[in-house]
Amino acid sequence: VSVMSDVLSEASEGSGDDSQELMTPAELIEKLEEAWLNEKFSPELLENKSEIVECVMEQLTHMEENLQRVKKGDLKASIHRMEIDRIRYVLSSYLRSRLQKIEKYFPHVLKKEKSRADGDPSYLSPEEFAFAKEYMANTETYLKNVALRHMPPNLQTVDFAKCVPEPSLDSFVFLRVKVQQENILVEPETDDQSEYAVDLEVGSQHLMRYRTIAPLVSNGAVQLI
Amino acid sequence: MDPSEVEFLAEKEMVTIIPNFSLDKVYLIGGDLGPFNPGLPVDVPVWLAINLKQRQKCRIVPPDWMDVEKLEEIREQERKVGMFTPMPSPYYMELTKLLLNHASDNIPKADEIRTLVKDTWDTRIAKLRLSADSFVSQQEAHAKLDNLTLMEINTIRQLFLESLNHMYKLRTNMQPGKDSAKSQDF
Amino acid sequence: MATQSYTPVPPGVGMEDNFLSLDDILLSQEKLPCRTETAFPRLGFLEKSGDTGDIQEGTKMEMPLWLAKGLYDSKRRVVAVDLPKVYREGWRTVFGADPNVVDLHKMGPYYYGLGSQLLHFDSPENPDIAQTVLQTFVRRFRRIMDSSQNAYNEDTSALVEKLDCMERSLFRSGQAGLHDFQRWEKGQSSQMTASSLVQNYRKRKFAELEA
Repeated sequence: VSVMSDVLSEASEGSGDDSQELMTPAELIEKLEEAWLNEKFSPELLENKSEIVECVMEQLTHMEENLQRVKKGDLKASIHRMEIDRIRYVLSSYLRSRLQKIEKYFPHVLKKEKSRADGDPSYLSPEEFAFAKEYMANTETYLKNVALRHMPPNLQTVDFAKCVPEPSLDSFVFLRVKVQQENILVEPETDDQSEYAVDLEVGSQHLMRYRTIAPLVSNGAVQLI
Repeated sequence: MDPSEVEFLAEKEMVTIIPNFSLDKVYLIGGDLGPFNPGLPVDVPVWLAINLKQRQKCRIVPPDWMDVEKLEEIREQERKVGMFTPMPSPYYMELTKLLLNHASDNIPKADEIRTLVKDTWDTRIAKLRLSADSFVSQQEAHAKLDNLTLMEINTIRQLFLESLNHMYKLRTNMQPGKDSAKSQDF
Repeated sequence: MATQSYTPVPPGVGMEDNFLSLDDILLSQEKLPCRTETAFPRLGFLEKSGDTGDIQEGTKMEMPLWLAKGLYDSKRRVVAVDLPKVYREGWRTVFGADPNVVDLHKMGPYYYGLGSQLLHFDSPENPDIAQTVLQTFVRRFRRIMDSSQNAYNEDTSALVEKLDCMERSLFRSGQAGLHDFQRWEKGQSSQMTASSLVQNYRKRKFAELEA
């Protein structure tokens, strides 16, 4: 626990963000699982959770170091190993679903990252940013080599931002409410409907457009399911 | 999401076991477990319960609801009403499969339980399709789905969400000018 | 476990089209009945029946969607685009009665895509076309969902025969959901299999050896 708290308090000092309170390792794992499901089900790439990833990695390394001192076949150690494997699965699945989205939406992801104001939190981790740039460069080179260089000079460029579809924020998502919300405005689907407000009670589940509740996903008030 | 990932989430649910070994408290990252004493019931996550059972280190105590009489009641209730009734566990389907596959010798009337749960599931899936169709035909913007479980949602997620997306695009066709700026000239 | 190493770009659906979507590329080849509203000098060779060197004003010809979209300009009147018959009033009435009886593959196969793309060309009938296309989807949805979620381990060719391309992709999504679930229920999703990439690689190696 102490290692954890150190890392987290350092992180909170850095960003000057008071919401980042001390977490127990159990809470940390819960946060990772929430981030995993949100990332799996949200149509767009969400803000990166580097602090969570780093803290979980630290927990895992720490635990693995301890386990090296235990003899093989020990029941307790095998229980710890199973837990480590489970956490590692969530962690890699989380990171992979982010990479998949970066590949799918790279021009838009990079544009968003580049147009970010200095103080704003970054959507990509430094590693993801490097990955996205490299992915873009490789795609560009590949297209150039196999096709574009054989085209007439005026057709040798491709505007990725135009030809790679943007994430559709109007997609519907399933969600569970964690913090009570009142008066969430639901836009009508057809002209003969009128807009109306819904209250989102804790524990209730809903199907609605991602766009309507996107801010609630990023502040943790709802969980995508 | 793959159903095995939904099952993975279900494996975090707690279940009572009767161990046949002793072990001090285990301080897992996700929380403390134990201590374990032979013959004394203790709560553990399903993933551990099944592993211990496979190693013949425990007996699993089925959850209260995994009982023929209770499940019959649930099935009848589900068939009687049009709404989704609350399930005894948000992972009733996954837990039934996991526990019956790995610990059927600890669960009385395992086969009957399997059938009852499957019947309930089928009734609920039929309702789910009915609601999905009505959501589409009414072109609704919001639905409350309180008692639906993740595994149930998961069976129609891709088809349903893709359909809603397509429908949305076809509907924006009727608001000329709104999206035409996005169409491209090459 | 359902993982894909390559995610194809999906069709745009509606009035958008995705540059890198194979479906949208195929859709852009669909032929539209057109009428020239100006003469096209020295392009007569493009038009089979024409014996003069020019395409005369008022010539009726078929054009792929991409070309019609490129030439069309509501102000400059270069070409006029007519409605393919499935979007005309007669067929709209049929769709209004019961869209489930229509063979949308034969009438399409890009019924929704082409119907939406037609809205790029001004026509007083556009609102009715858009409405019919939408309602057709809404009313055919139930059957697509049910058939895709009920057909397990059987030949599905008869079920998809009359579906338009977009409907077929929805059918496949429904089948994927069903298959994943059945696989899980039978306890097969925990079994590991070689990835298709590895399998194909082996096949290729064998093929090379044999050659």
